Amino acid sequence: MKAVRALILPVVALTLLAACGSDNDDDAGGQTNTTVTEATGTVTVFNAMEPEEVTALQKVTDDLINSKVKYKATIEGSSQFEEQIKIRVEGGNPPEIAMYPQPGTVVELAKQGKIKALEDLGFNAADLEKTFGKYFMDLGAYNGKHYGLPTNINLKSMIWYPKKAFDAKGYKVPTTFTELIALSDQIVKDGASPWCVGFESGTATGWPATDWMEDIMLRTAGPDTYDRWVTHQIPFNDPAVVKAGEEFGRILFTQGYVLGGAANTTSINFGDAVAPMFTNPPRCYFNRQANFIASFFPKTAVAGTDYDWFPFPKMTQSGDSALFAGELSVVFKDTPAVRDFLTRFSGTEVQCAQGKSIDTSRISPNVNVGADCYANKQLADASKVLTQALKANTARFDASDLMPSAVGSGSFWTGMVKYVQGGRNSLAGVLSDIDKSWPKP
Amino acid sequence: MSSSVQTPPAGPVLAPDPPPPDRSSGPGRVLLRLAGVVLVPVVTAVILWSTLDFLRNEDANRFLVVGVALVVGVLGVFFLFWSMNRLVEWLPARFREGARPYVFVGPALVILSVFLIYPVINTILISFKDAQSQDFTGLDNYRFVFTDDSMLRAIRNTAGWIVLVPLVAVTIGLVFATLADRLRRGEAVAKSLIFLPMAISFVGAAVVWRFMYSFRPDGFGTNIGLLNAIKQGLGQDPVPWLQQKPWNNLMLMVIMVWMQTGFAMIVLSAAIKAIPDEIVEAARIDGASEWRVFRHITIPTIFPTVVVVTTYMVINALKVFDIVFVMGNAEAQGTEVIAERMIRWFFIGDHNGRGAAIAVVLFLAVIPVMIWNVRRFREQESIR
Repeated sequence: MKAVRALILPVVALTLLAACGSDNDDDAGGQTNTTVTEATGTVTVFNAMEPEEVTALQKVTDDLINSKVKYKATIEGSSQFEEQIKIRVEGGNPPEIAMYPQPGTVVELAKQGKIKALEDLGFNAADLEKTFGKYFMDLGAYNGKHYGLPTNINLKSMIWYPKKAFDAKGYKVPTTFTELIALSDQIVKDGASPWCVGFESGTATGWPATDWMEDIMLRTAGPDTYDRWVTHQIPFNDPAVVKAGEEFGRILFTQGYVLGGAANTTSINFGDAVAPMFTNPPRCYFNRQANFIASFFPKTAVAGTDYDWFPFPKMTQSGDSALFAGELSVVFKDTPAVRDFLTRFSGTEVQCAQGKSIDTSRISPNVNVGADCYANKQLADASKVLTQALKANTARFDASDLMPSAVGSGSFWTGMVKYVQGGRNSLAGVLSDIDKSWPKP
Repeated sequence: MSSSVQTPPAGPVLAPDPPPPDRSSGPGRVLLRLAGVVLVPVVTAVILWSTLDFLRNEDANRFLVVGVALVVGVLGVFFLFWSMNRLVEWLPARFREGARPYVFVGPALVILSVFLIYPVINTILISFKDAQSQDFTGLDNYRFVFTDDSMLRAIRNTAGWIVLVPLVAVTIGLVFATLADRLRRGEAVAKSLIFLPMAISFVGAAVVWRFMYSFRPDGFGTNIGLLNAIKQGLGQDPVPWLQQKPWNNLMLMVIMVWMQTGFAMIVLSAAIKAIPDEIVEAARIDGASEWRVFRHITIPTIFPTVVVVTTYMVINALKVFDIVFVMGNAEAQGTEVIAERMIRWFFIGDHNGRGAAIAVVLFLAVIPVMIWNVRRFREQESIR
C-alpha cells in the first residue's frame, strides 16, 4: 500500500508531463497551420525612429493598413534600438519585424539564421531589384537570398544654404567642387564664413565627419574603389583615402572657412550647427547634412524661400553620385499578417503617404513612388537624385554603417574627431590607427 | 530510536500525516522510497519548466498566460516545497533531519547559482573566445585589455575615479556633517540641499551637467551653459570644457562627487550624532580644543562608518558608466572608463570576447575591495 502511495506522485507528474509534451507538438503543428489561415494577430515593427516619426508613421499605418485588415500593426521606436533589439533577439523575444539602419547587421543575422529570407516569404527577387535597385537589395543579401526589404532612404549628399541671403549676394549654386571652393573664397572675402560645421552628437560624436569623408571618397575615387574601401580590400590608409582626407581638410582647415574654427566643431552639436545660417545677415552659408536636418531649422524658415539645397558637387569623377542611408526591414517571424503587412507597407500607396507627412521626412526607396508624393519640393528633389543614382548604380550606402561596427561606429568616428582637432598633419596617423582597428577576419 | 522520529518540529505543520513509523519492512521498499525522493522533485521541476514553454508561447491568450504564471509561481513553488517536505518524511529516519535543511535551502541555492554563479563562469568562458563566442582564442582578449591604448587610458582613468571621487566626496561630506551638527537651526534644510542630488539618476545628473559645460562658439547663439555664461559675462571667450584633456576627466568626476556627497554626509552625520555626549563633554571640560575633539574623539569613533561609506563609493566609482557615456564620445575625449569600454565592446563594437574580458577584469578589481570591507567588518565585530 505504501509502495503504491510512493508511486502516485511520480506517476501523476509523468502524466502531466506527457500532456505538456503533446501540447508542444500541437504548437508546432499550429505554426504550419497558421501560414495557410488568414492574416490575424499583431505585427510589431521595431525601429530606431524619433517619437514624432513613430507617431506620424503609425498614423499612416492605421489609415492605410490597419483599417483594411484583420491584424493590427504597431510601430514601436526606441532611442536605444541597437542595444534593445540585440537583447530581444538574443532573449528569444524578437518583434515580428525590425527596421535596421545597418545592412551589416542584417547580413550577420541572416548568417546566424535568425531572420527569414524575402524569397521564402513569397517575394520575387527580380521584382524587388526592379523596385529598389540591385545595389540596395544586395546590401541585405546573404548566400544568394535577400533578407532586407528597403522601407526608407535618406539622401546624405546635400548642401543646405540660406536661399534669400544667398541670392541677394548674387551667389550662384556651384556645380563642381572647384566652383564650390571659389565661392567659399568669395564668401570669406565678403566677410562671412562659408561653412557651418558641427560634429558633436553625444556618444556618436564624429559621425557627421565620416559622412563628409564618404561623400568625398565617392566623388574622388569612384563607386568601385568606395566598395573596396568599405570591405577593406584596400587598407584604410590607402592613397585614395588619404586623398579624400586631404580634400576634406581643404574645407576644414583653410583659414576663415569654418565658423568658429575646425577644432571647435567637435563641440558643436550637428543640429545646433545650422543656427548661424538663419541669422541676419547669415554668419555662414553652407551646411552639409542629410535631408533630416530640415527639422532642425527655425520653425519660421520657409522651404524654398529661406532655405534650399544643392547636391554635393562633382569632383574628379564624372557622373552624379549620391550617398545615402536607409532602413532595411527584416522579418523574425513568418506569419500571414507579416507577409501581408510588408507587401502593403513597401507598396506605392503607403510609401507615397509616408513622404507626405513632414514629420517623417521619409523618402521612399521604391523607385515607382513619384516626386509628387512629397511634402515639399526639397524632399521631392532629393527623391529624384536618389532614384536616378539608384537606377544608374552610382548611389552608395553610408560606409560607416557598412563597415564592422568596431570601425564604423567606433574608430572611424573617433579618428575623424582626432583629425579635426589635430589638423592636417594628423591625417596619416589617424588613418593608420583606423586601419589597425579593423577586426581580423 | 523512536525519539528521533518524534523530534521533527517542522513536520507537523507542513505534513499533518504522521511519518510512516514502519521502516524495517524490507530493503525493496526503502529503495522505492529513495527513488521517489529523487524522482518527484525532478519531475516537479520539469513540469514547472515545461509551463515556461507555454508562457513563452506568443499565440496564447495574454490573460491566460498571466493567470498560469501566477498559479504556477505561487502554488507551484508551494507545492514543490510541500511535496519535498513530504518526501523527507518518507526517508529512513537516519537521513531525515540531515536532509531537511537542504530541501529548504536547495532551491535558493539552485536559483543563486543559475543567476549568479553560472553567469560568472559563462562570462569567464566567453572572455577566452572570439567576437561571436565561437572559437577559443586563448589570452587574446586579455592581451587586448592590457595593450590597447584606449583600454590603458580607461584603466588609468578608472584608477583616478576610485581614488579621487571617494576622497573628495567623503571629505566634503565629513566636513559638512560636522559643521551641520553645530548649526542651531536649519540643519535639516542644509542637509536636504546637499542630499537632493542623490534623488537623481546618474543619467539624469549627466544630462543636467551637460548644460553646465555646454559650449557654443561665437556665432552659434548665446551660451546656455552656466560656466560659459559666467565666462562671457566676465568678457572672456567661452571654453569647450569637455574637450580639455585631461582635465575633462575631473569635470566628469565632479558630477559623481556632487551626487554622492549627500550620501556620505547623511551616513556620517548619523554616526557623529551617535557619539555619546559624555565623552565629548568630558574632553571639553579637560580643556581639549575643538580640533583635538574632532581628531581624537570624532574621527576614531566614526572610523568604521567612514570605511563603509568609502568602500561603497569605491565600488560605485569602479562601476561608473552612465556619466561617461552620456558626456560624449569617450574615446575621442580621452575619458574612457572600464565599465564604459565593456558596454561599448559588448553592444556597439559587437565583440563579446573583449567585452567579457573587460568584465572579468572589473570583477577582479572589485574583489579586493570587498575582501577588505568584510575583513574590517569582522574586526569590528570581534572588538565588540
